Amino acid sequence: MSRVHYGTKAVNRFSRRRVLTVAGAVGVGAATVGVAGLSLAGESSSNDTAPLVISLRDAKKGTFDVFSGESKVTLTDKKLALRLLKAVKRA
Amino acid sequence: MSSHREAPEISKDPVADSSDLYAFVSPDKPDTVTIIANYVPLQLPASGPNFFEFGDDVLYEIHVDSNGDGRPDLTYQFRFRTELRNNRTFLYNTGQIKSLDDKNWNRRQFFSVTKVDAHGKHTVLHSKLPCPPCNVGKISIPDYEKLAEDAVHKLKTGETVFAGQRADAFFVDLGAIFDLGTLRPFEDKHLIGKTLFKGAGKAVNATDQLNVHSIAIQLPLSAVRKDGKKSVRGRDPGAVIGVWTTASRRQVEVRHGDKKNADVEVGPQVQVSRLGNPLFNEVIVPMAQKDLWNSLPPTEDKRFAEFVEQPELGALLPVLYPGLFDNLAALNKAKTPRADLVAILLTGIPDGIIDNFQNFTGETQADMLRLNTVVPPSKEPNAFGILGGDLAGFPNGRRIEDDVVSISLRAIAGVTVPLVDEKFKPDAAAALVEQGLSAKDLSSKPLKKFPFLGTPFDGFDNPS
Repeated sequence: MSRVHYGTKAVNRFSRRRVLTVAGAVGVGAATVGVAGLSLAGESSSNDTAPLVISLRDAKKGTFDVFSGESKVTLTDKKLALRLLKAVKRA
Repeated sequence: MSSHREAPEISKDPVADSSDLYAFVSPDKPDTVTIIANYVPLQLPASGPNFFEFGDDVLYEIHVDSNGDGRPDLTYQFRFRTELRNNRTFLYNTGQIKSLDDKNWNRRQFFSVTKVDAHGKHTVLHSKLPCPPCNVGKISIPDYEKLAEDAVHKLKTGETVFAGQRADAFFVDLGAIFDLGTLRPFEDKHLIGKTLFKGAGKAVNATDQLNVHSIAIQLPLSAVRKDGKKSVRGRDPGAVIGVWTTASRRQVEVRHGDKKNADVEVGPQVQVSRLGNPLFNEVIVPMAQKDLWNSLPPTEDKRFAEFVEQPELGALLPVLYPGLFDNLAALNKAKTPRADLVAILLTGIPDGIIDNFQNFTGETQADMLRLNTVVPPSKEPNAFGILGGDLAGFPNGRRIEDDVVSISLRAIAGVTVPLVDEKFKPDAAAALVEQGLSAKDLSSKPLKKFPFLGTPFDGFDNPS
């Protein structure tokens, strides 16, 4: 839910560092990324440390939704889907 | 209620739940329009230590359609951010709060205002404006009214804005109405009530002494009218605007559940709440489709037109009050589409139906609060709005004192059918039916100036 900002600046409680939630065996960045925090005025900026979430919507087709900033991009990668499924022991 | 907890999903997400929407030509500045969108409904005043606030992860929007296509030509976006001064205390305030930057006020909230034009161009009008605190009590906040006045911000671009806690001005006898459609003034006429009551009862305002969080904006009429016209004739389509509010959340949220990684909200905004006309989603849309309705834009409302044409409540009235609504029952039996309700709720009322009035926005069926901006404010407002001969009231926009529950009841009961069918004679009861409440029943009186809603109830004096 809501992030609380301490002090008068919108300083993130945590450092801006990439955090891989599904990594290790497959080495895949199906991950959430370190929090940059929204500016009060609105849109989050696009940079390589901004949050990124990948969702495997259709494992058979290898359809991914990639959520970044305020956008969603759909891409297809069957090999990546298979590697992920193996990583979570579903393949 | 108007839209308090009106749909299954949003009832579990009060921070994003729109409860009331008002739009009226400002009585204190008749060259401006005031729009108020209420969120976070049903707040108990005594709610420490965690008092109510807007959601930092919610996008709140007020939309204005100027050309009748059901799409926004002007949108104001409001985003919030909460800041803590002291992360070593559990207290909201560590002493008295006497100003908006008082060091004793620990948990403050700020908001930004972004204007979006018809072409999608975003302009940040202000990036950080303070909200007032919640009305903790007179010990903590000795002069709440002054703090609230200080939280009214005039922007360089001409808008006046406010965001913060106010008293809920909606009045409704919720306990009776949702107990099988009972209206206490007519409880002895009710199908079951007649076996329990020997006379009329007195209505109870269920939302009295409760607070909401309001987003209010006042802006020049020329800013909302088509082509930015300062002057326009009342019959001109450009005199009418459509207004609605929405709340949205990011499509994806990841909760890490640990201290090392903050939660993530990312992806497109997904609309979770919408409000135009009061009671539309509440009593027109079937429960199975209420969540869907909340997710859609007004341009999709044609798919709900069947529920306006044959409203469920219209079929229930003759059953719940036997013998009082026989003409309505006959209308229902003939399955006559309620063109009067379609006009009121989905298209606006065309010119020529009511003398010297129209708020028609065209054939696009869209639930919007329609306001003819040329109609001046009434010196003596009638709570029944247009039904009471007051063209400045609901369903021409909506004022705080409008009894939208009784207006809607009377309209559904058939008093507006003659607008489209001169041969129809409404039942005598249709012109009498009401919930038995008015703005006079509000314990916190509305203000005569922006932001118009009354001072929020404080925790000390309203402990239960």
